[in-house]
Amino acid sequence: VISVVPWRILTHERVRSALAIAGIFVALLLIFLQLGFYFSVPEGGMLLLDHLKFDVLLTSKKYVFQAQSQIFPRHRVFEAKEVPGVASVSALYQNSTVWRSSVDGTRTNVFVFGADLADDVFTFPEFRADRAQLSERDTVLVDVHSKPSFGRLYAGRRVEVNDRKVTIVGTYDVGIGFVGLGIIVTSDVNFTRLFPGLTRDNVSLGLVRLVPGADPARVVARLRQIMPPDTEILTRDEIAARESAHWVRSTSVGLVFGFGVIIAFIVGLIILYQTLAAQIVRNLPEFAMMKSIGYTAGDLSAVVVRLAVVMTGIAFVPAVLVAVVVYKITAVATLLPIYMTFGRLMSVMALALAMSFGSALFSARALRRADPVELF
Amino acid sequence: MNLRAENLREAFQGDWVPLALRNLVADPKRMARAVAGIGFASLLMLMQLGFKHGFLESALQFIHVLDGEIFLVSHTKYHFGETDTFPRRRLYQAAEDPAVLWARPLYAERRTSIWKNPESRRAYAIQVLAFDPDEPVFTLPEVAAHLEAIKTPNTLLIDSRSRSFIGATLVDDRPATEIASRMVKVVGAFALGPDFTVDGTAIMSDRNFLLYFPQRAGGLHLTRVDIGVVKLAPGTDPEAVARRLAARLPDDVQVLTRQGLLDLETRFQLDVSNVGPIFLLGTGIGFVVGMLISYQILFNDISDQLPQYATLKAIGYGDGYLLAVVLQQSVFYAIASYVPAAILAAVVFHVIGEIVLLPMEVTPAIVGGCAALAVGMCVVAGVAAVRRVFEADPAEVF
Repeated sequence: VISVVPWRILTHERVRSALAIAGIFVALLLIFLQLGFYFSVPEGGMLLLDHLKFDVLLTSKKYVFQAQSQIFPRHRVFEAKEVPGVASVSALYQNSTVWRSSVDGTRTNVFVFGADLADDVFTFPEFRADRAQLSERDTVLVDVHSKPSFGRLYAGRRVEVNDRKVTIVGTYDVGIGFVGLGIIVTSDVNFTRLFPGLTRDNVSLGLVRLVPGADPARVVARLRQIMPPDTEILTRDEIAARESAHWVRSTSVGLVFGFGVIIAFIVGLIILYQTLAAQIVRNLPEFAMMKSIGYTAGDLSAVVVRLAVVMTGIAFVPAVLVAVVVYKITAVATLLPIYMTFGRLMSVMALALAMSFGSALFSARALRRADPVELF
Repeated sequence: MNLRAENLREAFQGDWVPLALRNLVADPKRMARAVAGIGFASLLMLMQLGFKHGFLESALQFIHVLDGEIFLVSHTKYHFGETDTFPRRRLYQAAEDPAVLWARPLYAERRTSIWKNPESRRAYAIQVLAFDPDEPVFTLPEVAAHLEAIKTPNTLLIDSRSRSFIGATLVDDRPATEIASRMVKVVGAFALGPDFTVDGTAIMSDRNFLLYFPQRAGGLHLTRVDIGVVKLAPGTDPEAVARRLAARLPDDVQVLTRQGLLDLETRFQLDVSNVGPIFLLGTGIGFVVGMLISYQILFNDISDQLPQYATLKAIGYGDGYLLAVVLQQSVFYAIASYVPAAILAAVVFHVIGEIVLLPMEVTPAIVGGCAALAVGMCVVAGVAAVRRVFEADPAEVF
């Protein structure tokens, strides 16, 4: 009986049950959205690093975050190549400067990557595919997600970058993260043409790739042994943790969305509790009847908890589906890397069930009021 | 039916019953729960709009502390943080206008101004603003108090609201650190705050600016200006003078009123930071959530009082009267829960503002806008819930 009653309650007044489930659905959706925004912050910070091919990253000791990575001697990168277990190394150059349209003179900020054309440093294929064109003087690839202020991005267009005329030879599709309003990629030679004050002897990042089967921990330990204190050695996980820490803790972005998540949980809990409490109060006479025919308070609580879990479970499915759609729309509108992860899905599920369990037990207190004598 | 309703209304004329209000306060515990539910939804909306405002406003803080009514910037300038200068001669030309009291230069550097945290010795890029201490351009009282102090070579003032990793608060104990690879002594602090792209700010004299950033500001004579600050004679119309100056000055500069400069920077921030759509979406969700909560509350209220409503119907009150009662009640719910929510928001904004260093303000626009949304969501909920009253059949209830 205890497993049948919750279903009967749900199917008895379908419209009302649907409304209650809609309430839980919105609460879950709210939590999903705020969580999505929150986690998009470290994701956005990691976006470009995620598209670089490396197992171990060398940075300057003064590295703050990717757009403020500072520089360190290129020797260090070559030195890393001598360590057993290292398959290949590449130097990566980064800087930000001004992009100016040659037609109307509008200016905007652009982030520039430079790398040796012989190296395989990016996950997108265009850098290697367009090697021939990029080996020409003053040629660049541009990310299609660069802001609209960059104008139409097509091969052959000429623009000014840091007051130097360059030609766009193609586009690629990665995203711009938090490094600027747009990104261009060019060869290391063209990079130093764009920034005459910089030399190739100083690099922004060193990408170290290991031979298959090599133990990253041992390579990192060895690198830390041989590198002077001007260079930092980080595994992929370590750089991800550092980048997240910067965006989530040091800037206001993470904190603000963190507060959003907290408020979403509180509001979600309130909706859940109210919805369940309303369902119970509505069926108070029936519960009183069950009491009078001999069911214990524990039985009634079990019914309520089952009801709560079933309603939350039903609301969960559309909440996930709509959240995925809203994530997609937000990702397109804001270019933030917002997407559903299995981990998030499971943790919200667990949390929602815990929350509904708690509020069911809490609202089951109303059942004590269910006095058979008083009701009839 | 209608006749009886008329008579009844007449009978109650001298002694009108505020039914909606009585419904509201009948059960204090229920009212507390309702106020908490709707209030939190209102708080959610208030916070989303507050964050949006705080994010945008953080980038405008430096404009608010500039003296003057008109600002000159390079014609291609789109964002204060991007170095784009114009010749200082434009300021002399602007000063010739009879309505202009003075036109003074402000210099800025963000790229090579690497600051060393005095304790950790780690380096961070901060923003450096510079002006002639004999021709001040800031309204900040702490800057005005240190005009003599910053004339000393190798000195600066630091923003005490810079992000903590800069180590600006450590300088009380260790006033000496480095900026642009040169020793510098911190002789005072002011309160401004960081934004989306700036982690900290320092203010120094134009002479010191030359020492630290000789490549900037047009060499030894400081001939390249980032922002020209123009002060007008009291009582002149900034719009009219701005139009006059724009017509007179060469077109390598933009002449902007204070609002014009604010708009320029806001456009850039909206473009770079995505805060518009995100926080509006959050506000929208808050609205839907609030609507659902208040619908549930009203629906339960009505369900509990169904016999009473049925009785009213039985003695001749029409649907219009009942609708008015329910709508009144929903507006009362909105007001009763919005007031504590707004007060709580003011406290929460203050606390969060200090933690995340954003200018979180409860502006009239936010309070008013959210109040309208809160009333709106309760009224929509009321309209949806009132059907329950219409369906109340006196014969069935008893």
